[in-house]
Amino acid sequence: MSDIAAQFKLVKGPIYSHCFNQDRSLLAITYDTDCYVYKVFASKQPQLVAVLPDHDKTVTAVDISVHGRIVTCSQDRNAIVWEPLSNGTYKPTLVLLRINRAATTVSWASTGYKFAVGSSARIIAVCYYEQDNDWWVSKHIKKPIKSTINALSWHSNSVLLACGGTDGYARVFSGFIKGLDTKEQVAGSPWGEKFPFGSLVREWYQGAWIHDIQWRSSIDRVAFVAHDGSLTITDYTDDIITADSPEGLPFNSLCWINDHEILAAGFSNHPVLFSEGSKGWEVSKILDRPPKANEKPLLSTGNDDEEGTNFGMSALRKFKELDLKGKVSQQEEKSTHENSITELAPYAESNNNITQVSSVALDGKLVIYQL
Amino acid sequence: MEDWRRIDIDAYDPESGRLTVDDLKPPYPHILTLQELQPAIQQLRSYTSSGDFSAAVQLITSEPPYDADEQAKSQYLTGVLEVLTQVRQADIANIIKQLDRKQQDALIKYLYKGMSIPEGQKHGGILLAWFEKLTQVAGVNPIVHYLSDRRTV
Repeated sequence: MSDIAAQFKLVKGPIYSHCFNQDRSLLAITYDTDCYVYKVFASKQPQLVAVLPDHDKTVTAVDISVHGRIVTCSQDRNAIVWEPLSNGTYKPTLVLLRINRAATTVSWASTGYKFAVGSSARIIAVCYYEQDNDWWVSKHIKKPIKSTINALSWHSNSVLLACGGTDGYARVFSGFIKGLDTKEQVAGSPWGEKFPFGSLVREWYQGAWIHDIQWRSSIDRVAFVAHDGSLTITDYTDDIITADSPEGLPFNSLCWINDHEILAAGFSNHPVLFSEGSKGWEVSKILDRPPKANEKPLLSTGNDDEEGTNFGMSALRKFKELDLKGKVSQQEEKSTHENSITELAPYAESNNNITQVSSVALDGKLVIYQL
Repeated sequence: MEDWRRIDIDAYDPESGRLTVDDLKPPYPHILTLQELQPAIQQLRSYTSSGDFSAAVQLITSEPPYDADEQAKSQYLTGVLEVLTQVRQADIANIIKQLDRKQQDALIKYLYKGMSIPEGQKHGGILLAWFEKLTQVAGVNPIVHYLSDRRTV
């Protein structure tokens, strides 16, 4: 299909998170209690070059900094920074997060000198390297987080940190570290005057679990997707715009394409493109849609001409066929991902416009979508 | 291996406040009492008695009493059920087509709440007719919203 630039089956299990390095030559994915590092080729299957094995529980997230350092976090409540060595191996440094529950998500600030870890302990740990002690130090943001943090995103100024979680709030905190960050980074920011570490800059009540949140730094906007199937875009004026998933199923991840377009994907196994028009944000394109799902009416009931009445009948038909042939209907076309998409990330960009987006899913595949 | 998943780790941490039901409720500055909601209920009654159901549905869906206390909510729901059960089956689809996304979300909350109480169950068939027409117009979106929405009617 034309929407797919490439697809690779990488592992026989779910991938919760992935990340490419700066020049897209290396790919890191989470797999069970390890992190796999692959060398990426133009159109060939990626080649496994390193396994980072030090975690002893499920690895939940991975990120690569601008300098090539890999950070992983895991349900064993630790984060590990992997420094690339010249011989192609990685030197691990354990980061003590001082949390009593699983670490769920991790994100490098764009400067590459600090990262933030979200956790189920209702804490965001902002970690940075302290030269004097040769040690990664973590500082906590606690209030007013009431539940697990699902997603984190740094503004390009490396100070503002957006987060979303299961308490139904999207929040923006300050992750300003004295001695590491300077006031110039946030000079003239429309979000406020002063940004002491840990201060709550803004919060928005959504109600449902927030699965992912992403900054669009150039226009100072924040977008997040939640478990009620909605995509919400907001900014410092608290102007909130909401759009709905076309199939009703929630999104797990989102990716800004440009200032006026967002790609979102999740439980429906294929991405959906939203565009900002005169009437607000609307679905403009459904990528990689299984072709038969909407073209063919599932079962003509004769008297009902409205489309929506058919959805109850498809289950009935499915069971009828199951009964007759002893197998599930084969007419069901599959999208490229065969299970929920867990994460999207920008892959190729030209003129400030993302042209290709990579995705990983619970089916262990990596897919690159062409927009 | 020790069953570490069952260890109550909060018991060892005096600072860890547990997430309570109240923590999840939306942050309303003020909770309406029955008395404060009375004008809205009156307004609803007058629409019902004059037979202007379209306006009545517009009213209940555009200003749902999310920030009212339980007693006020149940009074209001009684009024809502009166409206919903008196609309003729043939008119339901037309009324629903005039609702926007937020209003559809509110309507489905009344339907679910209605089906959960005995007064509503008496008119279960009519509520289901509303439900059917609503899903025809809006798909499963209102249902998905309802599942995770903590603003209740």
